[in-house]
Amino acid sequence: MNGRGPAGPPRSAAVRPATSRRAGGDPLIRLFHVSKSYGAGSVALRDLSVEIRKGELVFLSGPSGAGKTTLMKLLFAAERPTEGQILVLGRNVARLGDRRIPALRRRIGVVFQDFKLIQTRSIEENVALALEVLGRPPREVRSKVFAMLRRVGLHHRRHDLPAALSGGEQQRVALARALVNEPAILLADEPTGNLDAELTIEIMDLVAAAAARGTTVLVATHDQALIRRYARRTLRLEGGRLIEDVPGGGR
Amino acid sequence: MIASFHQIVYFVRAAFGGLRGSPLPTVIAIVTIALAVVPLGGLLIITGNMGALLARHGESRQVTAFLEVDLSPDAESGLAQRAAALDGVSRVELVTREAALERFRERLGGGALLEALEENPLPASIEVTLRPGDDRGAAAEAAAAALRALPGVDEVAGGEAWVAGYARALALVRSAGLALGAILALATLLIVANTVRLAVYARRDELEILALVGASRTFLRVPYLIEGAVQGTLGGLLGVGLLYALFRVAVPQLGDALDLFLGWSQPAFLPPSRSGLLVGSGAGFGLLGAAIAVARTRVS
Repeated sequence: MNGRGPAGPPRSAAVRPATSRRAGGDPLIRLFHVSKSYGAGSVALRDLSVEIRKGELVFLSGPSGAGKTTLMKLLFAAERPTEGQILVLGRNVARLGDRRIPALRRRIGVVFQDFKLIQTRSIEENVALALEVLGRPPREVRSKVFAMLRRVGLHHRRHDLPAALSGGEQQRVALARALVNEPAILLADEPTGNLDAELTIEIMDLVAAAAARGTTVLVATHDQALIRRYARRTLRLEGGRLIEDVPGGGR
Repeated sequence: MIASFHQIVYFVRAAFGGLRGSPLPTVIAIVTIALAVVPLGGLLIITGNMGALLARHGESRQVTAFLEVDLSPDAESGLAQRAAALDGVSRVELVTREAALERFRERLGGGALLEALEENPLPASIEVTLRPGDDRGAAAEAAAAALRALPGVDEVAGGEAWVAGYARALALVRSAGLALGAILALATLLIVANTVRLAVYARRDELEILALVGASRTFLRVPYLIEGAVQGTLGGLLGVGLLYALFRVAVPQLGDALDLFLGWSQPAFLPPSRSGLLVGSGAGFGLLGAAIAVARTRVS
């Protein structure tokens, strides 16, 4: 973690930040002095150092343009850092060859604000994608997909197309797809940004449940009420810098 | 990446889903490939038939001496006897002018053109069969030279010079075919590649989502390669079908012109192996076009 932000030192200034009471495993995500810029004058992240342990649920907060999405992209290797090193699940993402990226992504579930579902495929087929890329047998795929859809309460809609579902339901499908192959890490970028308060809680309860089962979860959000409600460790970004690392109170 | 059986099933399912999902580009690609296959197949038919004629002639141990038209029947018989005495000759047959006209009539199946002739324009000829065993080229050339030296012989056919000329013509047709084939192949590849690129572009979101859940480059690309190969195979089959239909319709219409090239032998359609080669070429066009398209596609 970097404590030299423009807004003064963070409340937790140690390089190895505090973790939530439940999480005590090995660090699954480690960033060392990571910077990311898109050409001269467009710096998205500056000298970011942070560590996230197995089973933690961590909020990433900050205003629009703070660098939350860039950090997420760096973690699943959609972008490469300009400087610094990123270790995710023991792999150095900064140096990971293109051919090794899929293997990393198969252990990371990703959820976006806009759901990113294939509109021409059914709910069941969308969720099955994460298992099909692994070459799992169809019977196993069907059974795991059904179980996951039941967990998010949508097993009865499995043959519907995404367009037939509400926003909250589509996000539950996206979450089911992200979790169906039991990833070590779940990255959720503004997962409730398009949802009302009630659906937000519904989705976040599912995310928190994943963390409770041992998945390391990083949720990017600017919803302060949500952060207060769940009272978990929160990394606050501003202008690409980590300005605050608030330990969670547990829940 | 070595694909598992389940992944192969997925690839095939995804490929056919893609074909069903974009029928218009699929039809365009198939028709384009078919239209490229037709002229290529046409050239194969022409060169195949010319080659067969050349081979038949090469194996034939016959040389024909056409006689001057004003010879008497006795002189013609005398020339036939002298031809039979030549070195390396096993048999001779004298074809009189009347017999030649009768043969010509049989080959053409009659016709108003022959009826309109006031006199027989065909010369008598001596068909000389060479003894087997000797070197065919040298024996034919020697017999042709000896026949040409006989007084009353106007022209000799079946010597190596004719064979060489026909072989040169065949080589020319083959070269032109290769050049045309290369141009058609390039144009087809570009069209197929662009068709597949359109399909890739139309499903860009889907590809990005697949990449997000950990699909490898192979996983993303193989369905498009299968699509290209399927389009190519269907295009090849359609092309061979069209070619056969054209062959059946056009050959009777082109009778006289074909006789000029093929010497009254019945033109044959492509043998199954060549038809298979054409369908395979179509599949190759499709596969290569798709490979070019997906190689240019980047998914983050």
